[in-house]
Amino acid sequence: MDNILWHSVFFWAFAVITCGFAVMVVLSDNIVRMAVALIFSLSGAAGLFLLAGADFVGAMQLMIYVGGTLVLLIFGVMLTAQGPFISLKAGSGDWIIAVVMVGLSLAMLLPMAWSVPDWHGPAMGASETKTTKQTALQEEAEADQETVVVEHNVSVTEIGLSLVGVRTDLNQEDQESGQLPEGYLLPFEIVSVHLLVILIGAAYLARAKRPRKPTKYP
Amino acid sequence: MTMQADDPRLIEFDVRTDEMLVNMGPQHPSTHGVLRLVLRTDGEIVSETTPHIGYLHRCAEKIGENLTARQFIPYTDRMDYLAGMNMNLGWSLAVEKLLQMEIPEKGRHLRVMIVELNRIASHLLGMGAYGLDLGTFSPFLYAFREREKILDLFEAVCGARLTYSYLTIGGATHDLPPGWLQQCEAFLDQFEPNIEEYHTLLTTNQIFVKRTAGIGLLPAEMAISYGCTGPVLRGSGVDCDLRRDGEPIYTRMYEGYDFEIICERDGHYPDDYDYPPVPKEAQLGDCWHRFYVRMLEVVQSVSLIRQAMDKYSQTAGDYGIPVRFNHKLPAGEAYLETESSRGWMGFHIVSDGTAVPLRARARSGCFSNLSVIGEIGHGCLIADIPAIVGSLDLLMGEIDR
Amino acid sequence: MVESLIENWGFPEWMAYLIAATIPCVLLLHVVAVGALFFIWLERKVSGRIQDRLGPTRVGGKYGWLQSLADGVKLISKEDLVPAGADSWLFRLAPYISVSCCLAAYLTIPFAYGWVAQNLDVAVFFVLAILGLEVFGVILAGYASGSKWSLLGGMREAAQVVSYEVPLGLCVVLPVMLAGSMNLTTIAQVQSGWFTSWLIFYNPFLFVTFWIFFTCALASVNRAPFDLAEAESELVAGFHTEYSGLRWSLFFLAEYGSMFSVSALAVLLFLGGWNGPIPITSWIGWTFEYGWFWGTLGNFVGLANFIFKCSLGIVLMMWVRWTLPRLRIDQVMTICLKYCLPLVCLMLLGNLMWPWIAGPPSASFVQKRYEAYQHLHPEPTTETEADEETTAESNSVAISLPQQVNEKQKVVLTTSSTTDSSLPLQTN
Repeated sequence: MDNILWHSVFFWAFAVITCGFAVMVVLSDNIVRMAVALIFSLSGAAGLFLLAGADFVGAMQLMIYVGGTLVLLIFGVMLTAQGPFISLKAGSGDWIIAVVMVGLSLAMLLPMAWSVPDWHGPAMGASETKTTKQTALQEEAEADQETVVVEHNVSVTEIGLSLVGVRTDLNQEDQESGQLPEGYLLPFEIVSVHLLVILIGAAYLARAKRPRKPTKYP
Repeated sequence: MTMQADDPRLIEFDVRTDEMLVNMGPQHPSTHGVLRLVLRTDGEIVSETTPHIGYLHRCAEKIGENLTARQFIPYTDRMDYLAGMNMNLGWSLAVEKLLQMEIPEKGRHLRVMIVELNRIASHLLGMGAYGLDLGTFSPFLYAFREREKILDLFEAVCGARLTYSYLTIGGATHDLPPGWLQQCEAFLDQFEPNIEEYHTLLTTNQIFVKRTAGIGLLPAEMAISYGCTGPVLRGSGVDCDLRRDGEPIYTRMYEGYDFEIICERDGHYPDDYDYPPVPKEAQLGDCWHRFYVRMLEVVQSVSLIRQAMDKYSQTAGDYGIPVRFNHKLPAGEAYLETESSRGWMGFHIVSDGTAVPLRARARSGCFSNLSVIGEIGHGCLIADIPAIVGSLDLLMGEIDR
Repeated sequence: MVESLIENWGFPEWMAYLIAATIPCVLLLHVVAVGALFFIWLERKVSGRIQDRLGPTRVGGKYGWLQSLADGVKLISKEDLVPAGADSWLFRLAPYISVSCCLAAYLTIPFAYGWVAQNLDVAVFFVLAILGLEVFGVILAGYASGSKWSLLGGMREAAQVVSYEVPLGLCVVLPVMLAGSMNLTTIAQVQSGWFTSWLIFYNPFLFVTFWIFFTCALASVNRAPFDLAEAESELVAGFHTEYSGLRWSLFFLAEYGSMFSVSALAVLLFLGGWNGPIPITSWIGWTFEYGWFWGTLGNFVGLANFIFKCSLGIVLMMWVRWTLPRLRIDQVMTICLKYCLPLVCLMLLGNLMWPWIAGPPSASFVQKRYEAYQHLHPEPTTETEADEETTAESNSVAISLPQQVNEKQKVVLTTSSTTDSSLPLQTN
């Protein structure tokens, strides 16, 4: 055994976890088991993000997606707690439709994935943002196919700054010339307002329709 | 009287989950023995509570028909095993009523002393276990620390720590051992300041108040109509205590004693005790008041014991009348209720003129107190059920007999 | 570490990486396992003393210090039961989810300066995310047991943890805001010096926030008075009613593990991390400035500090547990949504307003913050010592803020009077 590229080993491990449990989500007929498999699948994806050096996205994946599945799980439990493990078998028609849809999206995604030139090299772990220095490093890495470069990542600072309107990843010359790139401040605010609207709407919908009688538990 | 779960009072939101029948007990940590409660729950909200009893039935009454009155005393111990002395007293007095026997004054003071000491032990356990029901463990062990000392005193008196058979027909089996009064005095001196600890840990604790105030509301009319007695009745503000209102043969024991019935009158409790004020949230008849009445009764009992010790040591004469185990009973019947620590304990004895009673019947206070649970144990949360059951201070040995 | 293993010890590269990864994992595993044994013993001793008892006195000679080991042996040797009505796959899986989430949280917790398995930039966020996942184990246990009491316990846990994550997350924002980083090492470094520089004493708002954090942490790790999921007087034993033996003890391992990790989080965020109340180590020169040996020596003192403070937090949790009655589920929700959440929002606002009330942060604080930030994001030209897990070349690209900006920031930082935002921005 000359050398083991641990990066690849973990990549494959997480990839297998992600895909394997994703298949389990589809094949399982118990809603709670499905939710559990989904949790593992999403956790595997989080592991992939962390492996790629995207700490922030990885932690986000854990917090939002995996945490969000919690709600799914709770609903699953509430739905099936009474009966003995309700079976959710899909009919053959459903299967055909599902296979067609998934096949179509796969057919769309795969060529796209292969068309990104950077991904051919082993420097796939590099963070999304590209500086001249990084590109140089990547070229260097491509020359030396044996090494895999995972940077010490500072993505969270950059993401945070971009969201409040400062793009640190862009050329500094633009900033010096007075033309500040606006970053993602506007989308960020739109999303915030959007979420607020959803919250208010949900609260409104969940409100009791009938006048509330005085009860012991307010 | 059962309430359906689709009662609009319970529905606050349109989204509802399925109802669930949950079996609380007979093996459940907070049902104090083998009480079984069937709860109908909608999520965390309990819409119906049905008690099921009979898991500790030992045919005590049937046994009473096969033994002489004196031989039945040990069986009364095992009814309310936390207040065995009170049980002994109830049966003894009922038999004495049938025999029309009057015991000497010194014996009466001895009985008051012992019975009130036992009341303290019983209330201490009820209080500690109530803390346990609400999820705090330490007061339970503090209560046991004190209760151990009372049990030591009882052990000195009769050799037993739980089932005493000490008070008996005609007085007691023995007189107090020498030096016992000093020991008892020392215990009371040590115990009285400690009561403050329980008030800090429980009575005035904010979480405790929030958990008990306004929960398990038992109005006075309902308490009376269900036959509730003891601290449960007095917690609802009904001024009734057999030590004052009972039959003469029983109240004569307490003649010349200075005590006031613990219950809320005109919005406040007797002023003799400087104890924490009633919190704003508490309503008359809730769990908090039932607990509070017990706490004050402990203090009351301490004062009664002190008085009894004085009177006992000042009274000359005998502590009782010797009664043989096969003493013949006169034909006829007698029924007497006494104020046990958990409520009225009534004993009914029917005799055909032999030493063995024709019928021995016990009326348990806990049984009536339990019967009210279907009425106050709905529309609350699951966590309130132990709080309510605990505040009734039930004891299955007495209910099932 | 990896380079040292390759160059000095002659390990092949793959094995060097393997060893470098295994050592922190094994150490952390022992922190949890041995820590749990110790804290279970401590809890029995503390509760015993609170309750006027002695606690364990026999096993292992004095003080019964081997009591939890004896308990552990007993638990392992017990029968591993799966109820007939249970979903056996999930039932068996649930304790492992709990315990592995609890372990994963330790990955990013620094025990002393630089002693951290994975120096993540988003460590605070990661720990919160992972701790939030622990609830899965409990819910699954509640569901899969096929018992109604377990189900109720699981549902309570879900409601409680999901609610308390919100104020807990907001509490964490305050120290993060002041330190300008989500990296726990940076946050702790900012608090170096005398105990007055601990963030809990930074301003009154942070002092209040610490107690809110403590309350929410109690709730999120299911300790009394928030132990509704296993409320023994109501739900028999809640979610672990049907568990026995090893699986049951895994839940307890997870509980004590999370107790330690939330304590560690509180210590790192508010109580100065591994910095002692008096900066003795820097007076006597036990820092990395004077070389590797002295730095390591100082780190051991820091480790002792850190573990002592964490243990204090845990003892406080025990004290609370053995004193207070349990809350009811609606009261738990009320405390979270009506008291903790608005209060912490208020504290957040107050903390933002603080520079207007008390003036700009002191120059020494700004300097410390700057240094901590500089250490984490070294400038491209300097060849500083890398963190354990990073390779040499990675540092050269680590910084994306160009040097000229940093120079200006230095000026902005030292003169900044009003802003306390997460990063000193160049505004003109």
